[in-house]
Amino acid sequence: MKLRTFPQGVFLPHHKEDTAHLPIVRVPEPSRVVLPLIQHTGAPLKPLVKKGDTVKRGQKIADVDAFVAAPVHAPLSGRVAGIEEWAHPTMGRFQAIVIENDGKGEEERYEPLPETIEDLEPERLRVFVREGGFVGLGGAAFPTHVKLSPPQGKPIDSFILNGAECEPYLTCDHRVMLERTEEMLLGLRIMVRACGAKRAYIGIEDNKKDCIDHVANLLRNFPIPAEVVPLRTKYPQGSEKHLILAILGREVPPGGLPLDVGVVVNNVQTAAALGRMARTGLPLVERVITLSGDCLRKRGNFEVPLGMLLEDLVNFCEGFTAPPRKIIMGGPMTGITQVSLAVPVIKGTSGFLFFRNVPKKREYPCIRCGRCVAHCPMRLLPYLLGRLAEERLFAEAEDNRVLDCVECGSCAYVCPAGIALVHLLKLAKFEVMRRKRGGK
Amino acid sequence: MEDLKLITSAPPHLRSPVTVPWIMQQVVFALLPAAIWGAVFFGPRLALPPLVLAVLACVGFEALDCLAFRRPLTVGDWSAVVTGMLLGLSLPPGCPFWIPIVGGGVAIFLGKQMFGGIGQNVFNPALVGRAVLLISWPKIMATWHVRPPFVLGATSYATPVDVVTSATPLGIVKAYGYPAVWETPHLLFRLFVGLVPGCIGEISALLLLLGFVYLLARGVVQWDIPLFYSMGLVAVALVARQNPLFHLLAGGAVMGACFMATDYTTSPMTPRGRIIFGFGAGALTGIIRWLGGYPEGVTFGILTMNALVPLLDRMLPRRFGVKKA
Repeated sequence: MKLRTFPQGVFLPHHKEDTAHLPIVRVPEPSRVVLPLIQHTGAPLKPLVKKGDTVKRGQKIADVDAFVAAPVHAPLSGRVAGIEEWAHPTMGRFQAIVIENDGKGEEERYEPLPETIEDLEPERLRVFVREGGFVGLGGAAFPTHVKLSPPQGKPIDSFILNGAECEPYLTCDHRVMLERTEEMLLGLRIMVRACGAKRAYIGIEDNKKDCIDHVANLLRNFPIPAEVVPLRTKYPQGSEKHLILAILGREVPPGGLPLDVGVVVNNVQTAAALGRMARTGLPLVERVITLSGDCLRKRGNFEVPLGMLLEDLVNFCEGFTAPPRKIIMGGPMTGITQVSLAVPVIKGTSGFLFFRNVPKKREYPCIRCGRCVAHCPMRLLPYLLGRLAEERLFAEAEDNRVLDCVECGSCAYVCPAGIALVHLLKLAKFEVMRRKRGGK
Repeated sequence: MEDLKLITSAPPHLRSPVTVPWIMQQVVFALLPAAIWGAVFFGPRLALPPLVLAVLACVGFEALDCLAFRRPLTVGDWSAVVTGMLLGLSLPPGCPFWIPIVGGGVAIFLGKQMFGGIGQNVFNPALVGRAVLLISWPKIMATWHVRPPFVLGATSYATPVDVVTSATPLGIVKAYGYPAVWETPHLLFRLFVGLVPGCIGEISALLLLLGFVYLLARGVVQWDIPLFYSMGLVAVALVARQNPLFHLLAGGAVMGACFMATDYTTSPMTPRGRIIFGFGAGALTGIIRWLGGYPEGVTFGILTMNALVPLLDRMLPRRFGVKKA
């Protein structure tokens, strides 16, 4: 098998063996869900319901008149208990709609799509995707319909389905590719039709050989040109820019988007969820996540309603074998640490990881070993950018391309001096952007 | 469950097991074969005192410096041990006891701590120490003790002795001209294996390369600088119409290319900078040997290129997504 990949990056211990073999388990509906008014990259939503309203599963409860946004739907039938500030997994606290489950199971569905996807108007499909509330379920949570709307003069020739799942521990995409393959491929057809791509690629790392074989089998007699591209397992292969480079050999220009090189990339789970809605009419109200780490009693891959609270998930997993010292939403390379179990699952939640054992790496001065430079997949000089950030020389950091940083964490991972390079580079990017916007 | 004490930190939450002391220890391991060979070939009485004293001096002076300037004690990072090893291995066997001590003091105080300690120095500390010794005590630094069977060049001794002084191959080239060195039988083989007079740990190209391969396998060093160093040296040898292989194997070239020029702190971080640095250091080594006043050019060749590193570090790699750099 010929394996493709991108230059530089790192080989990580991937720790997927704990959960990769565990089939997706459907978690029972909780008594309460909390749906933040921002779960995507873009404009915050406005609630369409008020306290005391009854809502049905699948009913749109928040939206906004903005292009870069995706509506939110009620994941269960119940009563709106309030619209209040609530703990948010990535934004501290944010306004959220709290729904109490009434157990009636009433549903409101959209009209499913016919199976003849290739005969449908792309615009109809884009509206369908937006109405369904779809965002990138890999973690970045960028509204899917925006990606599927290439501007005039930027034709799309290739569509890439991202099944790299390069973050250690996470296996939800792995299970979706195995168990939801038909829905995923239907979603793929919808997205390819919507963006007008001529050819589709499904990039899967070779630590998921079962997925490569299974998906390739189901692609026989597929109505559109599509192929599985086996990738040599390397981090950060699931980063859009690096997946495009690995599969098509194209580099997205600085500050640009995949569509600048004629490509649209979407996550496999986004496709699977979209395929499901096309069949059932039920919008994005649930997703598959991985719960793993070294101190959760019952680890695995779970299908959970959006808005389910972390404490309810932990209870479902029978609690901890020992109290965790670190809880991460997402993978260990880019994930965000959590300060409470009150946070809900949002659309961008690929999983929660619980760690009792949190090794601390001793910090030394930079010894200029060059590992950060040799591994940076964006060919930056992280040691220099880190030092410039420390000295608050943000203009120099910008000159040295700090905004190209994708925050993959490869530099900090390999640093023998234990320097918090991502922390410093995030600071520099933040300050450069703030100054660009005219802040002082 | 709500009384969890949770740590928050920026990602990544995984870190590689490679640490600064581990890296330095690997370099020490990699130098051990050459050091042991020095002790065997020259005899422990000639080889070990300079080596051990150089290591002790470097570690001791760094500790002293930390205490004197009330800074945290940094000797636990093992970098002073590496500096001491590199300095000790590049001293002549049987040199006076104060040579490694003075050299270690200069290497650590002047070469490293005055710039701010580990990671901050511009010049390779071991080479700074060696350069000062070379300039200050040229005679001592060019007195090569060796056992009689391995002597090169003209020597006279009336009664049987166990140690004599000898010329080195590069010394013969400088004193008697390039053709004279080829009067030594099996010259290239002796240089490769380490059967010639020379510095304590620089004589065996084979064992130094073995150590370098170990460092490559452990991911401690990259191959690029030694390769381009060799290319620079070969280029000058060809221009001088001398045997490139002789120049690669003689003197401190292998030690310089694999262990001195690859010093993290004093070599460039940028890929193109590393090419220029390596090639330049190798070429300067060859030019000094060929046209300079010293028989050996490794020390000054690398130190000169060290000075250019801040400039070479500005050669950014080609930007991602942009055709030209």
